[in-house]
Amino acid sequence: MIKTFLIGIKDLKLIFRDRAALILMLVAPFLLTLGMGLVTGRFSGSSNTGIADIPVIIVNLDKEQLGNALADVFTVEELAELVEPTFSEDSEAARIAIDEDTAAAAIIIPEGFTRSVIPQQGTFDEEPEALQIEVYANPARPTGAGIIKSIVDEFISRVEEGRISGQTAIFQMIISGRITPQQGEQAGMDMARRLEDSPTDNTLAIKLNTDTSGGEAVQFDVLAYLAPGMALMFLMFTVSYGGRSILAEKAQGTLPRLLVSPTNSAQILGGKVFGIYLTGVAQMLILIGASSILFQLKWGDPLAVLTLVLAAVFGASGWGMLITALARTPAQVGSVGSAVMLIFGILGGSFISLEQMPPAVQMVSKITPNAWALDGFTTLALGGTLSHLSTPITALLTMGLILFLIAVVLFGKKNLAQK
Amino acid sequence: MKKLFAIAWKDAIIRFASSSELLFFIILPVVFTFLLAGGTPSGDEDNRIRLVVVDLADTSISREIFTELEKSTAVRPEYFPLAEAEEMFDARRASSLLIIPGGLDVASIQNGTAELDFRKQPNNMNATVAERAVQTAIRRVSSSMGAANMALEEAKARGTFESSEAEQVYFNESLELAQKLQTDAPERVTVIEGSTPDSVEYDPRANSSAGQLITWVFIPLFGISALFAYERQQGTLRRILTTPTSKATYLLGTISGQVFMALIQMSLLVLFGVFVMGLGWGRDLPALFVILLCAALAAGAIGTAMGTFVKTEGQASGLSIMAGMVMALMGGCWYPLELFPAAVQSIVKILPTTWAMQGMLDLVLRNGGLVEILPEAGVLLGFATVFFGVGVARFRYE
Repeated sequence: MIKTFLIGIKDLKLIFRDRAALILMLVAPFLLTLGMGLVTGRFSGSSNTGIADIPVIIVNLDKEQLGNALADVFTVEELAELVEPTFSEDSEAARIAIDEDTAAAAIIIPEGFTRSVIPQQGTFDEEPEALQIEVYANPARPTGAGIIKSIVDEFISRVEEGRISGQTAIFQMIISGRITPQQGEQAGMDMARRLEDSPTDNTLAIKLNTDTSGGEAVQFDVLAYLAPGMALMFLMFTVSYGGRSILAEKAQGTLPRLLVSPTNSAQILGGKVFGIYLTGVAQMLILIGASSILFQLKWGDPLAVLTLVLAAVFGASGWGMLITALARTPAQVGSVGSAVMLIFGILGGSFISLEQMPPAVQMVSKITPNAWALDGFTTLALGGTLSHLSTPITALLTMGLILFLIAVVLFGKKNLAQK
Repeated sequence: MKKLFAIAWKDAIIRFASSSELLFFIILPVVFTFLLAGGTPSGDEDNRIRLVVVDLADTSISREIFTELEKSTAVRPEYFPLAEAEEMFDARRASSLLIIPGGLDVASIQNGTAELDFRKQPNNMNATVAERAVQTAIRRVSSSMGAANMALEEAKARGTFESSEAEQVYFNESLELAQKLQTDAPERVTVIEGSTPDSVEYDPRANSSAGQLITWVFIPLFGISALFAYERQQGTLRRILTTPTSKATYLLGTISGQVFMALIQMSLLVLFGVFVMGLGWGRDLPALFVILLCAALAAGAIGTAMGTFVKTEGQASGLSIMAGMVMALMGGCWYPLELFPAAVQSIVKILPTTWAMQGMLDLVLRNGGLVEILPEAGVLLGFATVFFGVGVARFRYE
């Protein structure tokens, strides 16, 4: 056991003394994370990590009950962080502002809108001309414009619900002879007053029970997705680089030479594998530590992060050992390892989110340790805990175990300790 | 000339000694181009907030609610099984969760027991938006029911019904009237799309094709440094001193060989872009040749300069991959440059990848020609001149 441990520590020291290896193990993922942070605006504070402060221009030409109510909707406290309304009297200026990309949408409430919905006194039996609220949407900000439109839609659905309820009740009473058409107008106004005084949500025929008792609110940091993505990609380099050293020692004859000492082949191979595992863990922890200190990145629950790192490196090491077992020369391990690193990087979501990939690619990504581990790191960054990581950790450990077993069988066939 | 060809041929043999080089020469670039073309946002994708929906009722009313949610401009509903949805919500992978309980039907709405469960993460704007969208959908689905209920209550307030059957008839007639009023309701909101110019010129296929071409060609050209380090380590560079070969001949032979191979690689990737992805790379062939050649020369020059600084092949190889990837990322080869913060857009102009990418997008995305790519080609030649100068000045056989 001690021999295995010593061989592992020796390999760890050797790799960390190799400047060429350190470039791809630590410098490259760190620089790429830094670059990702720069291009996504994470470091300039312009990162789009959530929807907030959607600028909207409200032009209320109606200036009556419904127009004012719609304008008020955008100033309620609940939407204070979602929308950033400004008010204007000039509809043409508002449209120009949208064309110049200064806001997501302009809401233009036409003059007479209220009267087009609510019949005025003495006009109960007349059908008013329907006026339309104009949502002048900015095509360059589809999400923001879509949300503004949905807020207007919700308001209009409330208005329509009130109108239809009132008209149904009054018309039905007239049709059934409970009131006369002359009494209809007064009955309608009485109903409208009563509806105004009652909380609107109570009018919903289907009750919506809202539960906000979830955990503490967490603001997702885009770098919390990018940094593990890069670290995991270059973890694949580390495990294949470690595997290369096994074949290099065989080619140089130092592996059989070790057998002259009172050390058996299982101890030697175990030590080499342990060294690869230790190196991978050290690489991940250094990158996590550096990004936490330098980028103020919150990775989440430390115990869960450590557990996930141990599982991720185990899964990745399994791939490293399999590549080594299949290769004939150290150079082959190097080139195939680099190719696997890049393929797993793109399939595992290091370059673009897996959610944007076709379903078939998402399915294939399950063979990569990157996808499972990245899933786990994202969960932790969103405030998840160790209990939420059972699926990715089980997948990574299973993957590692199966690959190690295959590698051991292949190593046995190759009789690795013989030159 | 013969010497130049011999040196270039020797380098090609060294490079392709292992068949795995084909992986990096053509296979991986094609895979990456294809995957990134399909996976990167095109601007046409559904940007709405995802709303996780669990339908335990599976009734016409629950399906109607889902249909109304699909019409929303703010949320994109997606069905999930209860366990998976709860797991996603608990793991914060979903900002909100709508559960339609079993038993939601017309009768439950009529007797006032219809309820939906909506869970939202606290202080989450996406969840707030989703909640409003759900309320709108419920309102649309149930408003005629609500109206009929209200009509019945109003009627009851003015006198009792003779029998429960009469009450039901009154409700049914009210419901019919409410549904008619809802159907006849005029459209009260109109959406007009502004003429905001889209600041991001983007086609995922064109960007992916050009971006991956640059990434996968720049990295091996930076790898010229590894070639120098390898020969220096092996002592073969010193051996050249014994032959009548000048430093210039050796450098020219090595660089021109690598640039020629890069042009072949780029041509293959361009052909993939034309025939598989349907891109218009070939609209102006002289312009295409100029930009590809200038890009290859710039990258080759940087590789030459790097080769005079590094000591071992391993270092050179690692540096080439790292520099190639970082420059590709920052040069807009992976994500559109227009999405970068303004300050970063200015800073990355110091990189050759930025100019190569812009030049290639001028051709393949903006339908430009020779005149349009001349500024980028000029800058790339400037990079080539400066870095070749550094490389030649610092080059030593030992």
